[in-house]
Amino acid sequence: MNDSDLKALILSNNPEVWDGLLSRTRLARGFDELFRLSSLRKKAHQRQISRPGLFQEKLRLAMVGGYNFYPFHDLLGHICEMEGFPCDLWLGSYDNYVSEIMEEDGELYKFAPKVILLIPPEHRCRYPGKLTDSREVQQSEAKHFVTSLLDLAHRAHQKSNAEIIITNFMLPARHDLGAYRARTLGSDWSFRKWVNLELGLNAPPFVQICDIEFLSYRHGGMSARDERAWFESKQPGAPDFLAEFAREASHLILSLRQPQKKVLVLDLDNTLWGGVVADDGLEGIEIGDTSPRGEAFKAFQKYIVSLKARGILLAVASKNDHDKASEVFQKHSEMLLGMDDFVAFKANWEPKSDNIRRIASELNLGLDSFVFVDDNPAEIEIVRQFAPEVTTLLLGPDPSEYVSQLQDCRFFEPRSITTEDFERTEQYQSEAQRQALSATITDMGSYLESLAMEGEFSDFTPLDIPRLAQLINKSNQFNLTTRRRTEAELHALMQDPDYSCLSFRLKDRFGDHGLISILIAKQSANTLIIDTWLMSCRVLKRQVEDEVLNELIRVAQNRNCKKIEGTYLPTSKNEMVRDFYLRMGFTLMTENEKVREFELNSNSFQTKPTKIKITRRIYESS
Amino acid sequence: MNQADVIAKLQTIFDTVFLEPVTATPSLSAKDVPEWDSLLHISLMVAVEKEFGVRFRVGEVETTHNVGEFADLILKRLQER
Repeated sequence: MNDSDLKALILSNNPEVWDGLLSRTRLARGFDELFRLSSLRKKAHQRQISRPGLFQEKLRLAMVGGYNFYPFHDLLGHICEMEGFPCDLWLGSYDNYVSEIMEEDGELYKFAPKVILLIPPEHRCRYPGKLTDSREVQQSEAKHFVTSLLDLAHRAHQKSNAEIIITNFMLPARHDLGAYRARTLGSDWSFRKWVNLELGLNAPPFVQICDIEFLSYRHGGMSARDERAWFESKQPGAPDFLAEFAREASHLILSLRQPQKKVLVLDLDNTLWGGVVADDGLEGIEIGDTSPRGEAFKAFQKYIVSLKARGILLAVASKNDHDKASEVFQKHSEMLLGMDDFVAFKANWEPKSDNIRRIASELNLGLDSFVFVDDNPAEIEIVRQFAPEVTTLLLGPDPSEYVSQLQDCRFFEPRSITTEDFERTEQYQSEAQRQALSATITDMGSYLESLAMEGEFSDFTPLDIPRLAQLINKSNQFNLTTRRRTEAELHALMQDPDYSCLSFRLKDRFGDHGLISILIAKQSANTLIIDTWLMSCRVLKRQVEDEVLNELIRVAQNRNCKKIEGTYLPTSKNEMVRDFYLRMGFTLMTENEKVREFELNSNSFQTKPTKIKITRRIYESS
Repeated sequence: MNQADVIAKLQTIFDTVFLEPVTATPSLSAKDVPEWDSLLHISLMVAVEKEFGVRFRVGEVETTHNVGEFADLILKRLQER
């Protein structure tokens, strides 16, 4: 709906103008668009076009600080009202905020604000001494600055019982001082960063920080500022930045007054993985590190897992066959989400709006605490129409943007510091202590021990084929024979009883490295010949090769093979493993420019001790 | 582009910015239009700079007393481009 459509609705006194204004306001980014929408809203009021669903009691919002609040206040008031919370505004006078807050019976407190927005001027946030002063002196100046700001907030809160929102400080965007700016807390750049951190870390629960540092970074430091607007009318930023600022301030004010989102309901096909599992099959869907699209879906799952860790409940509403859908979670090794991550799992052919209603009643939660995410506009529309209390998020056409979309949706932001958060902080602190401990470990054994590595062997499986082919065709350095194979050839190997094909996955307490080593061996009479042995270089020096050899010996014993033969085929890139078999205890048998051949007697082999806990083997030694 | 052209283009901006119809004439000034307060002035200037692709220097818009002088200032800045 464009401006002339809105004007026409206003001229015909049509209340549909309100829906149009709301959706335009939510999408508007620039200053002039937001301002024009605000003007149209006032026009609609002039013509007394009524709007249902508004709160009758107006939100009493005061702004004080070191800036002129025209026209910022108009943008903020507009957004709040469009979102259902009309405001009564009280504007402090330019740079008079200290006395306005300190004055016992002043106008600020007579106004009886529910929310006070405190916008201290950045020109006050400056280290007054020399760039070369000691860091202690500069730090204590920053601390002092923050303390006096928080004292003001405290006083304003005590006198009014209002929520306090304080804006922090925009960083400079000019080259002034050059690289030296980062080497002293005396520069505006460093001092303001320090102040912003101190402010955020020390603010009491009744204070919310309106993070101007972050907002201007996101917007672009150069375009967030407008020096002329400062000299002419004491503006806190460039016009378009004011629009962002108003949006953020309104978000802080309104999110506390709207139902908290607790449940994330997810579609499956083309949301959690690429493709349609019912059509493409378990092996045909895109998920995991073998393709860019697969990686994007995996990254989306990883972010969803992190939301769960923050306390968001996860649920599934999918048009799918239940068994086929759940099989993906149970069997696909690249899936990060598992069935037990979901509090409800509805994969059936009922309308999604019904499924979400059912989930809500099962969990005994209001529909307004639900967010539904789907890539299909038709499903989003059904939920909008038949479960309008549910908030919906339509994913765009590119899965690489899914994470960003969810990160920017603003539905799952922690609201305030609770006791739980404090407890969590303690957990984080002990984790930091553990890490500090490991940083002091000097010998390799204790280091490897501290990693808490876990490894898992597997035969080749159809699901792993893409990753296996990727490693086989791309590994160059830790690759003894550099034999390349197609996916079809790998499928054939899997079926061949003369071959033992094993893969190895490794994880440690910092994360999952995935499938990182492959060994293919062929039996010929009583000899096991190593056809391929390779490993990803990101797990060098982790004793992975030792465990792979241990497993290989088990395989050999299982096949009654006494002799193991290994070959090194030199390339321009695999010099690193030239003596690998010697290091592993093999004997060099023949050697020329093109090949080195080694042997090992499996009976004389002694299992190599490692710090990797093996959670799954192919053959258990008898 | 002459003063009349500039004023004609200003009229289209006025039509979007002002709620009530305002006719742009050379002698029109802010005090003739009740709606034209400091809030609206800032928005008007943002719209004019964007529409004409010019940037005024600090303080110079204040020195113009009516739409005619303002249009001349726009012309002057346009010629510099």
